[in-house]
Amino acid sequence: MKRYDCLALLASILGPKVIVVTNIGPISREWNALRPSDANLLQVNLGLCAAVGMGVAVSLPHRQVVLLDGDGNLLLNLASLADSANQNLKNLVHIVLDNESYEGGGGLKSATAGKADLAGIARGAGVPSASVATTMEDFESIARRSLNDPGHHFIVAKVERGSVDKLPALTLDGKEAKYRFARYIESTEGVQILRPRYTHI
Amino acid sequence: MQGAAVEAVIHGLKTAGVNFISLMPDSDFSDLQHQVASDKHFTYVPVSNEAIGVGVCAGAWLSGKRPALLVPTSGLLVAAWPLTSICMAWNLPLLLLIPYRGDIGDAFWLMGPYKDTTEPLLKVLNAPYSVIAKTEDISKAVMDAQGSTISWQRPVAVLLTGETIK
Repeated sequence: MKRYDCLALLASILGPKVIVVTNIGPISREWNALRPSDANLLQVNLGLCAAVGMGVAVSLPHRQVVLLDGDGNLLLNLASLADSANQNLKNLVHIVLDNESYEGGGGLKSATAGKADLAGIARGAGVPSASVATTMEDFESIARRSLNDPGHHFIVAKVERGSVDKLPALTLDGKEAKYRFARYIESTEGVQILRPRYTHI
Repeated sequence: MQGAAVEAVIHGLKTAGVNFISLMPDSDFSDLQHQVASDKHFTYVPVSNEAIGVGVCAGAWLSGKRPALLVPTSGLLVAAWPLTSICMAWNLPLLLLIPYRGDIGDAFWLMGPYKDTTEPLLKVLNAPYSVIAKTEDISKAVMDAQGSTISWQRPVAVLLTGETIK
């Protein structure tokens, strides 16, 4: 199963208002190519995608939030699974594109190439719904079911290493991403986030 | 932490518009933590390490909340990783409230190293800070720090020491 195909499927079924938080690395580049949108928060640094996504999901419980995470990224900070499970979220679909390696960091194997079972870890952390997909048919079925069922879902998609040819460069840095995402939330939620003059005093 | 100091922190947070708190349980802030956890004014997200707390607060701010992280001096070292890779790299605000264990007058030997790490670490993290030793100064310091972190878009800390954490 190819990661790009999984992401292409998701891009075809997610509504335009679904917030997507992605880890740094090839997932961000591929997702940006497939679904360019200010509803994406791209390139969250290693180990922090689940934490940042939790903050978004807790703060906007009426918005669906999808996390596109990597195995190495999540392994760095596994306790975030336990903390997010304790929030009893009804709006989070956490998808790990598990290629069993640090592809963006040179391709060395991650712990999931050995004995680590991320879905089992998620279940043990208290995430109520945790599944593994090894074929596109499985992935589509699990993804559609999870996206249509309010709750906290965790999906491990076992994918091959490697991306597609001629993927466009991702030219967005974190500062620009911050402004674009914050302005998007301001416009869709009717809130003011960016306040150069903060006048509470 | 004395009751008056806890009340001053809560008053400062509410007046400054803070409505989201993340923390990892810590003995020096336990009374404050219990109050925050039971106060419906705050969205409360306890975490298992302070790095997760920084990430949670970053996501919350980007989603329209006004977060603060309660973090001990030891946990600041754990938080340094996302304070760098998220807050510094993206220019994100974050109000940090820190009980200043290891300040001069702290009699526990194990806290000593945090006198060496805390203020230098905040400086290299580009996070300005106030050191508050009087309970009567807490609320305004919290309000000022929140105003500055939002308008400057970088973390700002309030270190609580002296009578405020006795």
